[in-house]
Amino acid sequence: MKNSASHQAASGGAVSILGVLKDFGNFRAVVDVSIDIRSNEFFTLLGPSGCGKTTLLRMLAGFEAPSAGRILLDGADISALPPNKRPINTVFQNYALFPHMTVAENIGFGLKMLGKPAAEIASTVDEMLRLVRLEHAGNRAVTQLSGGQQQRIALARALAPRPKLLLLDEPLSALDLKLRKSMQIELKRLQQETEITFIFVTHDQEEALTMSDRIAVMNGGKVLQIGSAHEIYEHPADRFVAGFIGETNFLEGELTGSAGGAGTVQLRCGPTVEALTAKSVASSGAVTIVVRPEQLEVVVPGSPQAVDATVEQIVYFGTDRHIHARLGDGTALTIRQQNRPGAKEGLSQGERIGVAIPPRVAQILKD
Amino acid sequence: MSELASLQDRQDRRRHRLLALPAILIMVILGLIPLMIVVVYSFLKSGEYGGVVPQFSLEAYVSLLFQRDMFDDTLTFSPAYLEIYIRTAIFGVVTTAICLLVGFPTAYFMATRPADKRNLWVLLLTIPFWSNLLVRTIAVMFIIRDEGLINTILIRLGVLDHPVTLLFTNFAILLGLVYSFLPFMVLPIYASLEKFDFRLAEAGFDLYANRLQVLTQIIIPLAKPGIVTGSILVFVPAFGAYVTPLLLGGGSHLMIGDLIALQFGSSRNWPLGSAFSIVLMIFVMLALLFQIRRSGQVNHG
Repeated sequence: MKNSASHQAASGGAVSILGVLKDFGNFRAVVDVSIDIRSNEFFTLLGPSGCGKTTLLRMLAGFEAPSAGRILLDGADISALPPNKRPINTVFQNYALFPHMTVAENIGFGLKMLGKPAAEIASTVDEMLRLVRLEHAGNRAVTQLSGGQQQRIALARALAPRPKLLLLDEPLSALDLKLRKSMQIELKRLQQETEITFIFVTHDQEEALTMSDRIAVMNGGKVLQIGSAHEIYEHPADRFVAGFIGETNFLEGELTGSAGGAGTVQLRCGPTVEALTAKSVASSGAVTIVVRPEQLEVVVPGSPQAVDATVEQIVYFGTDRHIHARLGDGTALTIRQQNRPGAKEGLSQGERIGVAIPPRVAQILKD
Repeated sequence: MSELASLQDRQDRRRHRLLALPAILIMVILGLIPLMIVVVYSFLKSGEYGGVVPQFSLEAYVSLLFQRDMFDDTLTFSPAYLEIYIRTAIFGVVTTAICLLVGFPTAYFMATRPADKRNLWVLLLTIPFWSNLLVRTIAVMFIIRDEGLINTILIRLGVLDHPVTLLFTNFAILLGLVYSFLPFMVLPIYASLEKFDFRLAEAGFDLYANRLQVLTQIIIPLAKPGIVTGSILVFVPAFGAYVTPLLLGGGSHLMIGDLIALQFGSSRNWPLGSAFSIVLMIFVMLALLFQIRRSGQVNHG
């Protein structure tokens, strides 16, 4: 059994999660989840805390057994294997580095437990230290390292045995913003260099969007949507996904007709827009459309097919600014504008503006 | 500004010294002075009816290893006292080892209970301290004597047809020592295991360690401070135990503590008793030094 977890062709494993359930007493943490994760994929489980994503990850690692369902790795059922028999390694949220060992001993621990010869362990440890760009840290105590360095050592330790699958449990949540950004790029690079399948758990939608090949959005133990960052952002499957990923404006209206993946919606606030539809939306009735703040345009008040609004607040973000406006019927709208160098301040609080929704950018949600 | 600061500094230091004074006084009066008295007594001649005669003599230390002939004053090597020291050391080491073997799993069990139940287990562990050591030791006598609980039950069950002698044996002493000092092993190990982050054990399992490897490579090394403290807390009092070997050994299996008591009692040889104490103390200090050195090295390596 030990050999299955050892060095093999550097190719990430494919995972099939088949109808997995997890109950803790009366509480169902994971509800009938089925996901196919491809080989060498950077796959993210995204959701708010308590959505079941960490439980799902712990079932993949082997710390929890599914109450029902099966987990396959490259076609073989691993549901019943203990963690030490699975060729899967984890980067823990708090890193869980062994404080009584040096950096090198931490990284070499997995290989040592697999019974590798000392020379091989030493060379792999060196290789891993290079990979995470901490070449000279091998002899240091892990307690002497900064948070970012500990993070890299935790990564190196989990990658050293060359697992088929690397699980990352919110590994960046303890880092400050700048470090988090650079680690996001670092993680993506590591995934591409090592060609190991990464399963990344996070509640941070931005992290998910920037790194993932595909994302599964979870809530209440269920998977709501699986797709690429683009698909999930541009074509959210439901209201929760739309609201959780990025800032969104929701507008109520009446569907008056649909053809060729688009529908005409008579908005309650006035204008009629052509919006994209998912296949499963009915051809008429009350609907909600989602429009991203950057899709809205500020026009002269009173323009045709635009809606008048009052500017309530302008929040400056450096590269762009958010205009919080309110429509006549009380609906709040957020509009994002890019700041260009030399551009005039333009709007001021209390000013009347018109807001236009360009055709075929808004998305009709199934309610 | 800097002058003011240095003045402040000096005042602070004086105040700290003043605050430490009561503690220093207590240590000098209750610790250092009695110890010096013992050291001085060990170098004096013994009085005829106990006490000491103020006259310098190395007799006490000589008689630790040699026997002086009553008539011609020749010295012959006599290992009788040395044997008692060695036996005492063996009892100390074996007691510590058994306490560790029993205490570690106990502490592990306690530390892995839900947080709100742990204090109950600690309370249960302290129950023996509610009664006197002498009373508890006599209670052990009642359990293991020929007509005691164990023999009676075994005979009633038909396992034995006549009682096995347990009392007044080395086994009885060891049982008494382990029983008396086990909590001193469990509590420090529990304290370090309670702080142990069990996610580290998960990380170990995740990195292909089996249960035994997680225990030996991760849990035990991190519980080491507790293990060292517990071992010291058991070994030191076990080495100097007096009541337990006296009652459970029946006087035939002396330990060094009993030998010392004997010198101040019926043997009326205070200098020899003092010399025994000093040697005992040196042994204990050496053992501690060894223990501390070793655990220190592990932390650095």
